[in-house]
Formats: sequence, structure tokens, C-alpha cells
Amino acid sequence: MSPVAASLASAKTAESPDATTTRPIPSPEPRLVARRRPGRWAGVVAGLVLAAMVVNTLLTNPNFQWSIVGDYFLSDAILRGLVLTIWLTAAVLVSGYLLGVAVAAMRLSDNPVLSTVSFGFVWLVRSVPPLVQLLFWYEIASLYPRLSLGIPFGPEFVSFQTAHLFSAVAAAYVALSVDVAAFAAEIVRGGILAVPRGQVEAAESLGLSRFRVFRRVILPQAMPSIIPASGNLLIGMLKATSLVSVIAVQDLLGTTELIYNDNFKIIPLLLVATLWYLLLTTLLSIGQHFLERHFGRSTRVGTSSGWWRTWGAGLRIFPGRRDLEVTR
Amino acid sequence: MTRPLVRIRNLHKQFGSHTVLDGVDLDLAEGSVTAILGPSGSGKSTLLRCINHLERPDRGYVEVGGEIIGFRPDGNRLRERSPREIAAQRARIGMVFQHFNLFAHRTAAENIVEGPLAQGVPVRTARARASELLARVGLAGRDDAYPSQLSGGQQQRVAIARALAMDPALILFDEPTSALDPELVGEVLSVIKDLAATGITLAIVTHEIGFAREVADQVVFLEDGHIIESGDPATVLQHTQSERARAFLAAVL
Ligand SMILES: Nc1ncnc2c1ncn2[C@@H]1O[C@H](COP(=O)(O)OP(=O)(O)OP(=O)(O)O)[C@@H](O)[C@H]1O
Ligand SMILES: [Mg+2]
Repeated sequence: MSPVAASLASAKTAESPDATTTRPIPSPEPRLVARRRPGRWAGVVAGLVLAAMVVNTLLTNPNFQWSIVGDYFLSDAILRGLVLTIWLTAAVLVSGYLLGVAVAAMRLSDNPVLSTVSFGFVWLVRSVPPLVQLLFWYEIASLYPRLSLGIPFGPEFVSFQTAHLFSAVAAAYVALSVDVAAFAAEIVRGGILAVPRGQVEAAESLGLSRFRVFRRVILPQAMPSIIPASGNLLIGMLKATSLVSVIAVQDLLGTTELIYNDNFKIIPLLLVATLWYLLLTTLLSIGQHFLERHFGRSTRVGTSSGWWRTWGAGLRIFPGRRDLEVTR
Repeated sequence: MTRPLVRIRNLHKQFGSHTVLDGVDLDLAEGSVTAILGPSGSGKSTLLRCINHLERPDRGYVEVGGEIIGFRPDGNRLRERSPREIAAQRARIGMVFQHFNLFAHRTAAENIVEGPLAQGVPVRTARARASELLARVGLAGRDDAYPSQLSGGQQQRVAIARALAMDPALILFDEPTSALDPELVGEVLSVIKDLAATGITLAIVTHEIGFAREVADQVVFLEDGHIIESGDPATVLQHTQSERARAFLAAVL
């Protein structure tokens, strides 16, 4: 017997006469009572008061001009801007993530050339403000009026004028996709690195191809950490699309600017845009919730029950027997 | 004498400037059980991992069933094979890890069918086989349990079933019981013991000397990347030649 086990055993024998003399549990079994949480009560009250104040000022301050908000909320111009914002975000998301996964894969590959290129790409894109990138792609014509394909310092094979290479929308699409790709690459790379190395080796030892290891073992387990971060990125991107108004693309915010520059109803028009962004973000958050639930299903990592349930359970304002699960 | 299933010749492996395997020669006869002993850091895991090319040797080679693992002979050279060829070679060699390494997002049965599915076995066939294998390792009916719902000993038995699902001629065990609570060691060792009787060739890194004595046909003792003792268990364990090995055995027993 090891010395540790021996000492444990002796501790046990020393304790046992004591254990028999401890008081027996009184016969009506005592009820377990959860700790009271008065702070939470105070918090709830304060929260309700604040919410009431916000609602009050929103409704009673005439400067919000809700009737004007109502007039413009579903107007054609706004809806056109909204549609542009939505599809630009969707297109940027898809191409940004396709590129981002490729960049992450390059970074993690054994090939030093690929991983250096990937590192450089992420470093550069993350360092340059998105607005500058946007203007760069838009103004590429003034930087390189003519692009040609050929041997450096040697003959050219093809060449073309760049003047109309990118329309404003195309420039926005390219610039934002590149930006999303750099951030998505880091999110995906982080998710992949979070998958235990041993499982990858186990899959390899079963003779799975590298692609299959990625698809069957790495990706499903990387998802729970990729999704929340991607939700952030996507929502950020939704709002970042409003940058495109500087190159005269009329997205949701750009359209509202155009209107209020004309009629000076700044606050109600900003409210119109805000309400739409709120709505879109809410939809995205709901989508994210279901995605998380789908991928959290089996690993029990990152399984989130709905925030409403989490909130309700965490608050435990009414501690009861059910809370403590003393009932069978 | 028939040709051994595994022939390891002059195997060298370095990590940076640190030599981990320094010329290992070892044969595993078909259907035999080999216990690999040795102190921590002596290169036991690295040796096993070279056998299925999870590590690429720097010199020497490993031959399994007459085929060199990870390399293709080309005149006087050995050229590294393509990932696809290496995967095909690995598919015929099972491996069981110290920390089980079950796919955490898959049930026991899903873990077991993963390899066969990659080989194109139909889902139904693979599933049925998985249930049989689970029963064989004493886990009948636990098909739908996730790894997190199983004890360490149960997880390791699923891992063994996962290796068996590929019908390997050779299974490598890297300290299969070292991460288990003492009372769970027995259940895993008894599964391995059953395997020993089926004619599958086994290579087991272990510190369970009693098990090695009982089950192994061959015991090798690794020290600093060299095999310093090898032979049948009685010889190596009772008439230990080297001072180093004797000290190690005294410490583990
Ligand atoms: N991927 C690696 N990179 C660098 N060094 C490594 C790597 N893998 C193993 N080593 C080193 O090689 C040596 C031998 O490792 P190995 O895992 O083969 O030992 P072992 O005999 O299995 O030891 P243990 O009983 O602790 O598992 C150790 O010093 C270890 O630090
Ligand atoms: Mg080891």
C-alpha cells in the first residue's frame, strides 16, 4: 500500500468512532433553503425604473417626432437602402468567410510560404482602417490607371484600363469582403486550434484523409467557439456597411442621410435607420442562437439555453424547493 | 521462421538537437504481444508514433507487412509517400492513446464507425459492427452515450473498439491505462488480454509490469532512445542485465 493510501486509511479509522457519535439527522428531514438574494431584487427594481424612464422620454419628448419616423419607416427610398444593406452584408459575409477559411487554412499549413502570405494578409488588412481600404479599392484607378499582366520589367501579355474596374458597389463589396476575411481567418484559426490535438491524431491514425479530418472532427468542434465570435463580426459588418455612403452608395444609413440633408429631420430619420438596424441585429442574434444550439447539441460546450431562460434561472428571485431540486 | 509483421531498422528521430530515438531495431512477430517499458522521456511514445507515421523518422525505417511505412523505396532512396497513401497505411494500423482521444462530439457508436465510413463501408453495416464491438468490449447498449457520459475505463474500451473496427493486423497502445483510476485499470487490461488471444499483433507501452509478465511474448526496455534489454518476459523481468533497467523495475513494482 502506498504511504498516501495508508495515511488515508488510518485517518478513516481514526474518524469512524467519531462519525457514529455525530448527531443523527432529525426525523422530519430538514428542508433546504436557498440563499436569499436581496441585491437582485434591488437590481430588478432599479432596472424597471430606468426602463420606465427611457420609455417615458421616448414617448413624451416631442423632438423624436415619431409621426415622421412612421412616415419614412416603410418609404420606398428607405426600403431600397435596406435591401442594399442586406444583400451587401450577405454577399460580404459569404465571400469574406470563404476567403477567411482559406486564409486560416494557409496559416495553419506546414507550407512556410502559405503561412507567411496568410500572416502578412491578416496583418495588413487588420492594420488599415476599413474606410481607407474602401477608398483604396474605389480609387484604384488613380493609383494604377492601367493594369497589365506580364513579366516584371519584361513584355506585357494583357493590359487594361482600370478607370471603370470597380463601380462604387463593387468596390464596397471587395473592400468589405477582404476586411471580413482577415478577421474571419483569425476567428476560424482560433476555433481550429481549440480542438484537442489528440483527437486529430486519433482521426489520422484511423486513416482519415486530411479533408475528412477537417470536416468530420475539426470543424464541428471548432464551430461552438467560431459562432459567437462570428455573430459579433457579422453584426459589426452589418453596421460597417454604412461606411459605403462615403463613396455614394445608397445603403440604409446613406439613404437616410440623403433625406435629412434635404429636409433637416435628422433625429427621426436616424431613428428610422436605428430601428431597422435593431430589427436586423435581433434577427441575426436569433439565428445565432439556433446555430449555437445546433452545434452545442452533443459536446455540451457552449450550449446556451435562450437568454430569457438563462436570465430567469440565474435571477432566482423566488428560491423554492424546485430550485434546489430537493424534490425527486 | 516466418517474416515478422513489423520490422524496425536503425530508427532515428530527433526533435531539434534532442535525439529521442537513437538507432532502434525491433521485430514484432505476427500475432505476438510486445510490451515496451522504459522511463519517462526514453522515447516509447515516439517509437510507437513512428510506426504509424504520426512522427516522420529521420533515419532508418519501419516496415509493416512487408511495406515500408510512410516511404516508398525508389532505387537507393526512400521517398515520403503522399498523404493519401500514408492514410491508407494508417488505416491498417490501430492506435489507442493514453488519453483515449475519443471524438467528443460523437457518440460511442459514431466514434467507432468513423474509420469504416471513411473506407466506404455502408452506414448500416458499420453501425451493426459498432454495436457488436461495443458488446465485445463489455459496453453492450451504450451506442448512444457521449464520451463525457462514460467513465475513463469505458472511454478507453470504446477507443479500443474504434481501433478494432478497422480490422487492423497491428494495434499500438500508448500507456492505455496510465490515465485511469486504479479500479478501472483491470477492465481495460482484460479487454487487451482478450485481444492478445485473437492473433492481432499488439505493441503496448505500459508500466503494468504484472500485465507485461502475464500477457507479453516479448518485453523490450527502452532507455535514451536505445533498446537496452529485450527478450521473453521471464528473462527481461527476472534476470535483468542492466543496472538502469533493474533500478527502473524496482521503482515501478
Ligand atoms: N513533438 C515534439 N517536439 C519536441 N520534443 C518532443 C516531441 N515529442 C516528444 N518530444 C520529446 O522527446 C522525448 C521523448 O518523448 P516520448 O514521448 O517518446 O517519451 P516517452 O518515453 O513516451 O515518455 P512518457 O513515459 O513520459 O510518455 C521527450 O524528452 C519529449 O520531451
Ligand atoms: Mg509517452
